[in-house]
Parts: sequence; C-alpha cells; structure tokens
Amino acid sequence: MKLFKEVFIANIKELLRDKSGMFWLVAFPVIFVFIFGLIFTGNTGQQSYTIGLVLEGSSVINNNIEKVLLKNPSFNIRKGSQEEEVNALQEGKRELVIIIPEIGFDLNSQYDIQILYNRDLNGTANIIISSLKEIFYSIERRLTEQTELFNIRPEAIQAKTLSDFDYILPGILAMAILQLGLFGSFQFLNLREKGIIRGLGVTPLSRSVILSSEILMRLIIALIQTILIVFLGKWLFDVQITGNLLQVFGIVIIGALSFISLGYMLITFADSMESGRGIVQVVQFPMLFLSGIFFPVEFFPSYIKPIIKALPLTYLGNALREVMVGIPAQTTMQRNIIILLLWTLVTLVLTIKFWKWE
Amino acid sequence: MAENVIDISNLKKYFAEVKALDGINFSVKKGIIFGMLGPNGAGKTTTIETMTGLYQRDEGEISILGLDPERSLKTLQKKMGVQLQSPSLFPRLKVVEILNLFASFYQNPLKISNVLSQIGLQNKKDSWVKKLSGGQKHRLAVGLAMISNGELIFLDEPTTGLDPQARQDLWNVIKNLKAEGKTVFLTTHYMDEAQKLCDDLVILDKGKIIAHGSPEKLINDYFKDRVIELEDMGLNNSFKERIKKEVFYNRLSFEEKKGHVLLYSDQIDKTLKSLFQLADNYERELNDVVIRKATLEDVFLKITGREYRDEAV
Repeated sequence: MKLFKEVFIANIKELLRDKSGMFWLVAFPVIFVFIFGLIFTGNTGQQSYTIGLVLEGSSVINNNIEKVLLKNPSFNIRKGSQEEEVNALQEGKRELVIIIPEIGFDLNSQYDIQILYNRDLNGTANIIISSLKEIFYSIERRLTEQTELFNIRPEAIQAKTLSDFDYILPGILAMAILQLGLFGSFQFLNLREKGIIRGLGVTPLSRSVILSSEILMRLIIALIQTILIVFLGKWLFDVQITGNLLQVFGIVIIGALSFISLGYMLITFADSMESGRGIVQVVQFPMLFLSGIFFPVEFFPSYIKPIIKALPLTYLGNALREVMVGIPAQTTMQRNIIILLLWTLVTLVLTIKFWKWE
Repeated sequence: MAENVIDISNLKKYFAEVKALDGINFSVKKGIIFGMLGPNGAGKTTTIETMTGLYQRDEGEISILGLDPERSLKTLQKKMGVQLQSPSLFPRLKVVEILNLFASFYQNPLKISNVLSQIGLQNKKDSWVKKLSGGQKHRLAVGLAMISNGELIFLDEPTTGLDPQARQDLWNVIKNLKAEGKTVFLTTHYMDEAQKLCDDLVILDKGKIIAHGSPEKLINDYFKDRVIELEDMGLNNSFKERIKKEVFYNRLSFEEKKGHVLLYSDQIDKTLKSLFQLADNYERELNDVVIRKATLEDVFLKITGREYRDEAV
C-alpha cells in the first residue's frame, strides 16, 4: 500500500509536468466544448419561409389576401411577376410561389390558386401548403359569411427547448473518455517497449503496482474532465443539466473502465509504439463517427446499424445523454450499463489472456 | 572456505537455436569486485539477467546470496541492487524524487544525500531525469542500484559511453562500494576497466568462459611476454620483411588498422638489441618505440586468436 502511494504520487507529478499530455487531457475537451458550443447554440428560433406571391389582379379580395399573408410571421413574402417569382423559385430563392388570379365578387365561380414548389422540398412544401390552406379557408368562410364551426386557437406553452448542443455536450464527454482510455494505454506501451517494465523485475516494485496506479490516475482524470465539460457547458452555453452529478460520475466511471480495458487489450496486440498507435487509431476513428455521439445515427444505412449497436461508445453516449441532458435513448439505461460492463469484462479477459509485460 | 555470494554451475541459456550461455561456471567471493569481461554479444547481459531472475535458465544451478532466483525472487529483490538499463521510469521526475521513490522500495535504503554525492549528481538533484545527459543517466542508474543498500550490487556495463572523467568518477563509486563491504558483480567490455577494478575476473566469449582469475594472474598465465610497439609509419614492406627475418621475438603482429607493429617477446633485451641493430644497418630511424606489459587485450588475442573488438555502443 505504501509502495502504491509512492508510485501514484510519482504518476501524478509525471502527469502534471507533461505539458502536451495535459493539453490533450484538459485543454482539448475544453476547446471542443467551445467550438461546438459556438457553432450549435446559434439562434435556433422560429423558422420562416420565403414565399413568392404573384397577384394577377388588385381587387379588394386580392389585397386582403396579401395583407393576411404579410401578417403571418412564418412567411417572408416577396411580391413579383409570375416570371420573376418562378425564376427565383428555380434558383432556390423561394420555398414556394403562390399565383392568385384576379378574384372578383362573383362568389359562385371558382378561382384556381396555383402553388408551385420544388419537388425536392416536398416535406417543407407540405407544411407550408397546409398552413396556406388554413389561411385561404378562413378567408373563404369570411367571404361566404358562414359561421366558423371551429375556432382553432393554437397556444404555445413554455417547454424545455433542446438545442443541438444539448445533444453534443454528452458526446464530447464520451469522446474524452474514449480517448483517455485508448490513448492512455500508450504510457504503458512506451515503458514496455523501452524495457523499463522488464527491468523493474529486479526491484521489489511489483509491475502490477505501476499498472494499477495508472488506472486509478485515469479514473480521476475522467472525473476532472467530467466536471470541466459539464460546468463549461452549463455556464457558457446554457446547457440544461438535468441529471445529478453523482449519476453522471457513475456512468463516467463505468465508461472509463470499459475504455481503459479496451485500450490495454489493444496494446497487447502491438509490438511497438508505432503499431500500437496504428491499432488504436483504426479502432477509435470509426467509433467516433459510428456511435452517434455527435449526431443521431437514425439516418445511417441499415447495414451499418448492427455495427453501431455493437460499439461501446454508442451506449456510453446514450447513457450520458440521458443522465446529463435528459434525452432518452432508444436503449434503456439498464441496457446501456450492462453492455458497457460486458465490454469491460470481455476486453479484460482477453487482455489478461494475451497480456505481455515485456 | 570463504563465503561465496554467487555460485554458478553449468549455466545454460538458449534463445531459440542460439546458445547464449553454453555451460558457464564461476563463484564470487564476498566483498570483492568481480568482473565479467567480453566483447559485445558474448553473453554478459544474459548472464546478469539470468542471475537476477529476468530470464529463466535452461540448465544448471544458480545460487545468489544462497537463494535460487527462480524460486525466491521476492526475497532476493530486497537484498540486491541492480543497475537498470534505463532509469526513465518517470522521465519527468526529478533526480532526487526518483531516488526517493526507489528508496521507498527497500527496508533499509541508503541516505539520498549520500548516494547523490557518490554519483556526483548533487547539483543535478532537481533536474528532470529526461533532461540528464547520457553519462548522468548512467550514474543515476548506478545510484538506483546502490540505494537498495543491498549486500550484492549488479552493474551491467556501467561505464559504457561515458567520457574519461565520468568513467574515473564511476570507478571511484564502485571502489567505495567494495570499501563498504559490498560485493560488486560488473560486466564490461573495457579491458582497462577490468584490469583496474576487478579482484577476480572471467573472460566470456560466445557464451563460454575462456579464462578465469585475477587480472594479474591471467596476464601472468597467458602472457609473460613484454610488448614492443613500433610506429608503422615510414616502414616500407622490405623493412617489415627484414624485421620478420632478423629480429628476435616470440610473436609478431602487424596491426594495420592501428598503425602498429607489435613484437611480443620474453627476452626483451635481445629483441631490442636486434631491432636497433637492424635499424642501424639500414640507417633507419625508429619512431615511438614503446615497451609495455601485456594487457588483457593481448590475453584475449592470444586465447581466441581474434582481435578484441572494442565496439562501444
């Protein structure tokens, strides 16, 4: 125990004096929070659609329709000739163009209101069209003096709004833990490659003390990174942290253990620093993109889905998102934790089986 | 019978098909500096690493402080000090910190200040290990072996790559260890080092011990001759031929690389007389004639018939 303490203190000193190492562990996640925070917390308020309006007449009813449309906050109305507006639509400058003929007071005849839209923007157009329909029907009812049967009163209530950054912040923490686990194993690989671990066999210092003090060290770093990322997100970018910090810590420790174990497993298959770096890169890079820690994976092709479902980072991301910002995952918390623990167990068994001290 | 600290009998160690150690035998008495001399690749490091438990032997018996390193390694680790290949376990630890760390491994370690002054690193005690020069790292590695205060200290080529002053300093450290009653086992590929430091010596070549004894005894046994060295410059081939024919010697060697002609002789006055006679007859001047005792290098040359390759790493 006394030996462990001495080696652990040496480990801390070593870490604090390693400036580039400290950069990766502390500054890198912080910079990530800043960059993503600035990009994704911009004004995500109400969306407005640019609509071209072509009026082929200037009757009272035509003017009325124009007024109603102009009043609608969702619409950004541009008036022009049919030719101008269709051109603008084709250049992508309008979401949609409405062509309204001269509407007289002959209420028995029918007037065609033409709506042109880009076929590629089917979804958006449908939303706009349905609200336009709503507007025209209400005008129609007023003109024909039918009483309105329904009075639709939309009412906004104050609810929690999630910005894209709420999704990303737990992802940054998950990434930091992934890298801490995988890249952290290089420290041991380096000592092993230089023959220092082997050389220690002549001293009473057991090699497992070196290893366990490294692991404890990294668990502590993981918690420090968590505090940094959570509080920066909260104070600077107003991310609503819904979960309690102890739960977050719990998930972080479970995640860190599984990636530390994975990291050690990977270096057992490396016979040099270079091959170690290669193996770790091959594993961590696809994992970063496929685990959905920065964007939802729903739109990935279905043949990739099984891979996504197998990655531990997917579950760490899910668990952290749920516990930090309350975004429920498709997987239950229980499942997230069990799969992370399974990964720890399997990689640990493989690590022990293939472990090389020298 | 004097107490033996190390007893090695018929030790064999193979790496795949290569016989790194091919049945070596030796004993080390308590309180001496024991040297193992040999060129690179002779098996010196393998010997140390098998004795200290880093390798398992393939055959033979090892007794270190009465213990078998394969069976009682834990006990042995506390009683011995071994110079590590590199002290860079924590490259950003200060010299004094790494010494403290290693001191904490042992029950009765030496005082840090004592070790620092012996290895001459007092003014570097607050430097990071990684910032030390090669020689300083070497001395620190020896310091880490010393700090155990163990009765037996293993040093694996402790002075390789050091400048002459640093070597001299380290020799003094090693002599001090002996003065304190410790036994030192050291390997070296420097003939002069073995000759100056060691009380007892084995010469290892290709995994076999080819000679054993004190440096003086080895030189006496294998080489009573004196050596006359002539500068080769200005000696043309016909004159060299005449040396071959007309001068008295026991053995003659032209060392083209070093630019020397070596005459080994057990009747030095006879050799010198005939040599100067020859020079007189042909009106030659002989530059830089040196007469010296034989060294271990000459012993090695004589036993193996090969020139000693002193390839410092």
